[in-house]
Amino acid sequence: MSAEEEELRPAWSQSFTPEAIQQLNAVGPFSDITPAWAWGRSKGKGIRVAVVDSGVEHDHPAVGKSVKGGVIVEYDSRAKDSYRIRPDDEPMDVSGHGTACAGIIHALAPEAEIYSVRVLGRNMAGRAIQFAAGLDWAIEHDMHVVNLSLSTSLEEFFGIFHDLADQAYFKNMNLVSAVNNIPEPSFPSLYSSVISVAAHDGHDPFTYYYNPKPPVEFGAPGIDVEVAWNQKQYLVCTGNSFAAPHIAGITTLIRSKHPDLTPFQVKTVLMACAANMRHRAN
Amino acid sequence: MDSDQIAREEKLSEQLKRLIVSIGAGGQTVLLGSSDELLNSIVVAAARIFGAGAASILLVNEDEQVLEFKVAYGPAGKKLVGTKYPLDKGIAGYVVMTGQPIATSQVSKDARWDKEFAQSTGYVPESILATPLLSGDRIIGVMEVLDKINAASFGIQDMELLGMFARQAALAIDQAQQLSKIEGALVLGLKRLATADPSKDSSEILSVLETARNDQGEISDLLEIARLLGDISALGEAERRACLQILEVFASLKRSAPRRFG
Repeated sequence: MSAEEEELRPAWSQSFTPEAIQQLNAVGPFSDITPAWAWGRSKGKGIRVAVVDSGVEHDHPAVGKSVKGGVIVEYDSRAKDSYRIRPDDEPMDVSGHGTACAGIIHALAPEAEIYSVRVLGRNMAGRAIQFAAGLDWAIEHDMHVVNLSLSTSLEEFFGIFHDLADQAYFKNMNLVSAVNNIPEPSFPSLYSSVISVAAHDGHDPFTYYYNPKPPVEFGAPGIDVEVAWNQKQYLVCTGNSFAAPHIAGITTLIRSKHPDLTPFQVKTVLMACAANMRHRAN
Repeated sequence: MDSDQIAREEKLSEQLKRLIVSIGAGGQTVLLGSSDELLNSIVVAAARIFGAGAASILLVNEDEQVLEFKVAYGPAGKKLVGTKYPLDKGIAGYVVMTGQPIATSQVSKDARWDKEFAQSTGYVPESILATPLLSGDRIIGVMEVLDKINAASFGIQDMELLGMFARQAALAIDQAQQLSKIEGALVLGLKRLATADPSKDSSEILSVLETARNDQGEISDLLEIARLLGDISALGEAERRACLQILEVFASLKRSAPRRFG
């Protein structure tokens, strides 16, 4: 590969190509942590998951009866802080993206409660503000897991999202964020307290990999995945957006089975159960 | 000349200088060729590099809430340019609303997917990869490559690479849009300067400015005028008046000659 091609080669997903995945060894007590222990028989009961996105179609068959409520965050330049939040008791999805994410989470954790936090819409301005306000709502309303299949590259939001990520962390909340599909810094996916996810091309929803060379830590299915879409549709899609909810779903299962785990312990469990982690022979 | 007028002229001079600096920084490279030409070459290059049957760039029109094909390469090609598409429909609409790139395959096999628009263009793609064009946090359009040749769908690496293309395209579009705004402001500024002294007839200068504004091919001439005006505005009042008189002489000469600008 020439230097020029090397330069052009995308950064995030390449850690999860078959030839790039590194075999890792679980050491000491981490070797005892297995998927069966971590999430075996768990269905996500008792866990509240917020999907901060384009909304979730509450009556889509792919989400069953899991959607328990939600809010719409709208940009309003005249409002205090430039946004308004209104309740969305029977949420709809303005694009399909949020329903796709919720459908993946529901398939993995069918007993978890899903909350739709709609921050995307037709308006072309104020997206980062809506996004931050939506995340803030999720933190204030005691969600356990938040799926963020979106990000912002605006540097002026670095501090705001960092603060929100810290608040979530200290409230025992796991933020699971897709990294931007464009290899450039984006927030909040690149903070250490966040579980960041890119796509690999496998299809087993429970097979994911750990990348020992962060910032992107986990690789989950996100290539040619059949996903739910708005208006009761299904589509075959590719994107890191669809990888994150796989990890959000597994995180939900772990949190449900082990409610006392803290966010960093959950991340450790996730790492220990990654498909590229070799456990010592028992 | 009263102090208010001096202040106004100084302000105008300041604005003109700023505009000219902006043009120097942002506009020159785009001006060398038209922005459509540049965007065309970006979509053709993208189609070749990605091994795609078609590629296009759509721009958001917020007033009409539509996406408009700016440039297109492929079977539907030229026919698509200028076509409008509802902002909340289809793959491109999805990209605009979410700001997320997406790749989908089996588009034509999925009866539930609204393909009315694609059919109306006579071209229904099998696979699509679409990514947002961003100006800061603002989504100004969508870049698409369609129908991966020799593969069922576009991969995640295609997606990341298209993101890089999109960045270049967005930069070019953004510059062109800024330039158009600068041009408008510049003409307005020149008009104000030309009509600053009501005792002088400036109708011909105004007419020249109108012509330049309407004729996209003459932007560089206009910029040259602006550059000179920038220099002139930095001079003293007497020099400025002298320049204005020269322009007026030129205008009065033109009045008697057949109209031909550019």
